[in-house]
Amino acid sequence: MKDLTIRNLSKTYFDPYAGTNVTAVHDVSLKVEQGEFVCIVGPSGCGKTTILNMIAGFIPHTGGEILVGGRPVKGPGADRGVVFQSFALFPWRTVLENVAFGPKMRGVRKVEREKIAHEYLALVKLTEAAGRYPAELSGGMQQRVGVVRALANEPDVLLMDEPFASVDAQTRMTLQEELTRIWQEKRPTVIFITHDVAEAVFLGNRVIALSKGRVLEEISVDLPRPRSWDALNDDARFKELSGRVLQLVRSA
Amino acid sequence: MKQFLLKFWGHCVRLTARWPSIGSIAPFIPVIAAWWIVTELQIFPRVFLPGPMEVVRSFGSLVYTGILPAYLQDSIVRLAVGTFWGIALGIPLGILLGLSQRARTALWPLLLFFQAIGDIAWLPILVIWFGYGLTTITVVIVYTVIFPVVLNTVLGVRSTPITLHRAAQSLGASRIRILWEVVLPGALPNIVTGLRNGLSYGWRALIATEIIVGTSGIGFLMFDARRSGSVVEILLGMIILGILWYIVDSWILAPIERATGQRWGLVTR
Ligand SMILES: Nc1ncnc2c1ncn2[C@@H]1O[C@H](COP(=O)(O)OP(=O)(O)O)[C@@H](O)[C@H]1O
Ligand SMILES: [Mg+2]
Repeated sequence: MKDLTIRNLSKTYFDPYAGTNVTAVHDVSLKVEQGEFVCIVGPSGCGKTTILNMIAGFIPHTGGEILVGGRPVKGPGADRGVVFQSFALFPWRTVLENVAFGPKMRGVRKVEREKIAHEYLALVKLTEAAGRYPAELSGGMQQRVGVVRALANEPDVLLMDEPFASVDAQTRMTLQEELTRIWQEKRPTVIFITHDVAEAVFLGNRVIALSKGRVLEEISVDLPRPRSWDALNDDARFKELSGRVLQLVRSA
Repeated sequence: MKQFLLKFWGHCVRLTARWPSIGSIAPFIPVIAAWWIVTELQIFPRVFLPGPMEVVRSFGSLVYTGILPAYLQDSIVRLAVGTFWGIALGIPLGILLGLSQRARTALWPLLLFFQAIGDIAWLPILVIWFGYGLTTITVVIVYTVIFPVVLNTVLGVRSTPITLHRAAQSLGASRIRILWEVVLPGALPNIVTGLRNGLSYGWRALIATEIIVGTSGIGFLMFDARRSGSVVEILLGMIILGILWYIVDSWILAPIERATGQRWGLVTR
């Protein structure tokens, strides 16, 4: 695990149809400490995915710098694990093979990497599903696989782009609770992107409110852990924090 | 009467449910029966339309003399060799075209140009170049098989979601590994579709080529039979073509499709 520093990051897209430039991210600076869980929240179209894709190295940035453990990001790499909204599991690989994929690319032997994969699957109670194909799983199960697939590769930073946006509300709450539990156990550095204010406050140590490609404000979340929806649903502090973030995001 | 028919129908349904192979033969029974009745009624002269039994007898004697097995083998070997090269050249070319915009710009017009010429249209010049041999036949089959394989491979490569490439990259896969782990399996269902089309065209091209330039093979058998006026053998050739294609498709291609695209949930069943 390493820290992540973003300095004056910006991104200007060229729209070939309109023939104009669109600036999706303006001058964003951010420091994420090692082992911290940071949520970036904002309405759709505010540049969240663009920021995450730049950190992941999927798209080049047009200004500023991104440093992971002090080293500048050049393209995608195994030091930054990614969890996708669309799960992006390999349909032709079983659940076990999906989770073992990262270690396999590192050249870990088959026996060894399957042991690792089994450990991580047990973490999300998917031991039974190891031999199945992704298409045979529910959305919630698929995203559990997506999360542990990224974790099993032991990245320095875990990047998550609205990972729970396409599962139903009940499953989402379970997944959120599981994620906080896993985070406490493994303590990875996480950047979690969402448009859901309650989700951001529930998960993060810190919430960054984003609007129109700019950082509005950072709010630290001092709620105790472990966190559960049962406890937090009626928690005054949780409500207060969520209310503040919501106001920020809506006012901009 | 109606009751009896319903009962009989129910019986048939249960039978085919238990033995699926009967299900694939069953549709042919009325066709053969109709054929048999037409020939028994002598609507057409026997020389023009022989009955099923005569075809079976002719099959027996051609197998006995060894002509049919030899011809069959020739046809199948030609198809296999042609298909092998069609795949071996078509898949890499399709992947190159699917991945590289530059390759597409450079090669796409050529591809369409040559696709338009058509397989059989090459025969005159191929016969001058290579004579009446295996080379000519192989080239025609490769030519037929390769276009559907290439075009479908391109489609498969390009329709693989970019997030799968990204997922592999951020799990540490090199470009070569991505080719093997993402590009190829992602395109596989389309490749099989291309192969299916390619083989069915290739099969037709083979018969046409054998009729024109062949010295053996099922196509040649039929052409030879026409010369000697043996309608029985022509019919036999046609039936063998149908059966052989059915076997290739349902015993080789369909199982590959079931084991890949369908299993992975990429193709709806
Ligand atoms: N490839 C692209 N080309 C041009 N504009 C883009 C591209 N991707 C995103 N944008 C624009 O950048 C802005 C931010 O998009 P995005 O990062 O996807 O937002 P979010 O993830 O917060 O919904 C939007 O206005 C979007 O239209
Ligand atoms: Mg987005």
